[in-house]
Amino acid sequence: MDTLYELAELTINGTLVGLMYAPIALGIVLVFKSSGVANLAQGAMAMVGGYLTWAALTLLGTPLWAGIPLALLAMFFLGRGIERLALRPMVGQPVIMVIMLTLGLEIFLRGLTPALFGPVKKRLDIGLETAPIIIGPILIDRAYLLSGVVALLLIGLSALFFRTRQGVLLRAVSDDQTASWSVGIPVERAIGISWGLASIAAGAAGILWGSIQGVDWTLSLLLIKGLAVAILGGLDSILGVLVAAVILGVLENVAPVYLERLGVAGTRDVIASLVILLTVIVKPYGLFGREDIERV
Amino acid sequence: MLYRLAGVRHTTYRSARGLFPVPFDRLLLALVLAAAVAAPFLASPLQLNSYLIPWVVWSTAALGLNLLMGWAGQVHLGYAAVMAIGAYTAIHSVRAGIPFEAALIVGGLASAGIGLLFGAAALRVKGLYLAVTTLAMQSIVDWTIVHVPAISGGSQATLQAPVIRLGGWPTETDAGRYWLALAVCAVVTSFLLNVQRTSFGRALVAVREKDFAAAIIGVNPFKFKLLAFWCSSFIGGVTGAVLAFCYYRAVTPEQFHLEVSIQAVAMVIVGGLGSVLGSFLGAGLVLLAPIFLNILVGSLAAALSLPLYAEILSHIPLVLYGALIVGFLILEPLGLAKIYDNVRNYFLVWPFRHARH
Amino acid sequence: MKRSFALLALSTQLAFAGGVAAQEKMIKLGLALDFTKVYTFVSSEYNQGQRDYLSLINARGGIKGHRFEAAVVDHGNEPQRGIEAYERFKAEGAVLMDFFSTPVSRAIVPRALKDGQNVLTLFHGRSDAADGKTFPTVFPAGALYWSQAAVVLKYISDQEKGDLKGKKVALVGIDSPFGKEPLPVMQAVSAKEGFDLQTFFYPSPGNEQSSSWTAVRRFNPDWVVIWGAGGGQTVSLRDAVRNGIKLDRLLSVIWLSETDTEIVGKDAAKGVLRFEGAASGRDNPVVKAILDEVVAKGKSAGAAEKVGSSYYNIGVAGMSIVVEASRIALEKYGEPLNPDKLRKGLEEVKDFNAQGLIPPVTLTAEDHQGGGRGRISQWDGAKWVPKTDWYAAYQDVVWDLIRKNAEDFKKQN
Repeated sequence: MDTLYELAELTINGTLVGLMYAPIALGIVLVFKSSGVANLAQGAMAMVGGYLTWAALTLLGTPLWAGIPLALLAMFFLGRGIERLALRPMVGQPVIMVIMLTLGLEIFLRGLTPALFGPVKKRLDIGLETAPIIIGPILIDRAYLLSGVVALLLIGLSALFFRTRQGVLLRAVSDDQTASWSVGIPVERAIGISWGLASIAAGAAGILWGSIQGVDWTLSLLLIKGLAVAILGGLDSILGVLVAAVILGVLENVAPVYLERLGVAGTRDVIASLVILLTVIVKPYGLFGREDIERV
Repeated sequence: MLYRLAGVRHTTYRSARGLFPVPFDRLLLALVLAAAVAAPFLASPLQLNSYLIPWVVWSTAALGLNLLMGWAGQVHLGYAAVMAIGAYTAIHSVRAGIPFEAALIVGGLASAGIGLLFGAAALRVKGLYLAVTTLAMQSIVDWTIVHVPAISGGSQATLQAPVIRLGGWPTETDAGRYWLALAVCAVVTSFLLNVQRTSFGRALVAVREKDFAAAIIGVNPFKFKLLAFWCSSFIGGVTGAVLAFCYYRAVTPEQFHLEVSIQAVAMVIVGGLGSVLGSFLGAGLVLLAPIFLNILVGSLAAALSLPLYAEILSHIPLVLYGALIVGFLILEPLGLAKIYDNVRNYFLVWPFRHARH
Repeated sequence: MKRSFALLALSTQLAFAGGVAAQEKMIKLGLALDFTKVYTFVSSEYNQGQRDYLSLINARGGIKGHRFEAAVVDHGNEPQRGIEAYERFKAEGAVLMDFFSTPVSRAIVPRALKDGQNVLTLFHGRSDAADGKTFPTVFPAGALYWSQAAVVLKYISDQEKGDLKGKKVALVGIDSPFGKEPLPVMQAVSAKEGFDLQTFFYPSPGNEQSSSWTAVRRFNPDWVVIWGAGGGQTVSLRDAVRNGIKLDRLLSVIWLSETDTEIVGKDAAKGVLRFEGAASGRDNPVVKAILDEVVAKGKSAGAAEKVGSSYYNIGVAGMSIVVEASRIALEKYGEPLNPDKLRKGLEEVKDFNAQGLIPPVTLTAEDHQGGGRGRISQWDGAKWVPKTDWYAAYQDVVWDLIRKNAEDFKKQN
């Protein structure tokens, strides 16, 4: 019975943690859906979101209900700015160049933000008490629960968003940019908006993780987890993000515990990479991704 | 005027296919080679140890990666892992008693083998997926090294490189290690310079441009991509071993982290994809640029009497580094080699402005 | 790779700018730290403490007319950059270096031993470097991680009135060589005293530890020892509270500071215990002197609020030992100071306690640890309050381990 409870607790926590990876993957998917680019700077953007929120709350002293929206708004404009200045000139270049560009951005942000705000870990207080919620013999962390709820909300919002007019425009752009141009859709603006939304998602992830572990450069390490979720779910599927996030979170939480008992220690780190590798070998386009047909 | 083309006529196919038809190019190359060989006598020990050796070794690494990224057009974000495999294998081989030269080859073969495994998996997909898979490879290799004490040398996690014995003679001087690195670099450079003249090179270019078109004309894309992975990983493994023996003289897991992979890719891109000279220039710039910027910022801060705490200063190289990559990609995607090319083209026809070329 | 170079060149330029005044007698120290990667939680305060103490000594005229100069460099926890920094320091004539990073120190040690360069490895690095015969130029000069584990275990033993049989102790650490450091000592003492030791390792960097702490909760330990650093420590504390572990039964390695308790919440972290190697706070004479003579003049190397924090004081402590050793070396062996004389000076430091900042440290040619003393302090919501005096424990177990590991090192090299 005890093992069952243990498994249940690990699974529940794993689901919540996985949901916390989801906003990053959501950002990656949003950008990929609209412009076909994998944004490897997503982790760094999450870090920037965390720092901006800290700045709003601590440096400027704004209250919680104003600071978070303010930071997220700033992230929106940051995302649009990055797209305009860095990505626009690269239209038409081979994908390897664009990937390198986002990597360069990631390094740049990872150096600039701690330099501006100070490299020591910062406290991000979003007003949650540390006492856990106890259901029978199972403990659930309040912070994880809130984050899971927020992540679910974000995913739901994105799904809804793609049914609005703007969302339909974005879907058209992701399908075929040239065709969208020809029917008069402002493609550049649509891509810019999708980057802005992706930044908001990244910022949200930064706030959630920052409140749990403190804000410093290590927030940018969320990239690998986000990538694993995005690839497993399919780079252009939002439903895929949800499913893959839960799978990855549960795997990461449950597998290492049992593997450790079998003697293989410290496997938690490598689960995300193994997931990527296996997905690419077995089902490259992910669980819900659309097969890319290459035109000759 | 300098690059005199007049009088350069070919009467045999062999001379027409020469690597350096222009005499001035040959002269420049000879000068650079002479300077490189004489470097231990010309440069101070500090410069030799801390600038030249890493530059030579990292140029070799960039060359290996260029083969894969520039010629075959495949992204590889896990090159540091490949180098790590080579380094660790070579050190363990020497410790097990295998002579140094053979250990280098063994290291290269191990890297090639493991790199090939990941390559085979990754080559089912292209572009982004390939990049992400090599990323995953990097972290898996990282994890394996740290968690398998037999490889990483136990919980102390630093493996000392044994003394290099070339043909039985111990090489302990800085100059000896430099020449060893230079020799390896020379071999790899000449290999890469000649690849473009072989059918292997042409096949790689065909696969890079449009792999299904290549398949149609009879070039097996999968086979050649795998070959490119194998060669590139072999060079990476040997370079990793040389790096561990000649420069660090010890090997730790941190030396081959993701950061280092990204630096290698940056060297290739900043230098120019597919260009041999570009690998050297890119390696040099990526290694030296942060230094100059730090000196610049530091003296500016001192001149304006701004209190700059050490921790702020230490982030500046990262900032510069990212800006370098982004800037080069946006402004000059063909890299430093293109800039050199522009200069060369200018002097090719100087004092005229243009000529039929 | 060589990003540190410019910083190094720059600071050597600025710091070693004694070229003009050729009469100035300088003692050069090379301080390479990780300001950007793993040790960010401690390096800036530690370095500030180091530099402020040296400024204090210089403001008072130095030691026998010799002023101290520190070249400060970032090596980002990368051994290759540490090696470059080492070569640079050596070329500039440094008599002692501090790398403040376990992987970097480990990579430097063979080089330093070959070149006869002194390396300070205060509260980090190779624990077996305490063996002065095998490592003549490496100086931990403070409680090794093994001694810290021993002190912690002795506190637990005292709290349980000496009877540990059947008690359960959990070690929760980061899954890295650092996190596994206390294992040999804890296993040896566990065999001796009869308590049940279980280990729980969480993956680096420790942002997510919930599964480890769930397992800890099921183990239901009497005492928990956490062995992490930086961000992982705050997560450990949070997760411990979340899983119902009482903080006054939780002890930490030396790397737990005011910053960590602040992030967890000053009141939420009340009661947690830690090993202390240097007194924290502004109460002791040395820090007061720094406040009066350096900070008041605006010459502190960092923010004034940080003066007196735990890590700041550790930096001060390290430099105070070095300065004391320089004084001894200059008195007995004359000028100019070189690495060999400083080494002899270090080995003659006797009962030095920096006016109460650290426990009395005695270094000899065989013992480079200095006694392995420390004390346990507790967070009371506002500051760290010492709960015991300075003491050392189980040094026989520790020295057995030191000798065994030193033997292995000798065999390997």
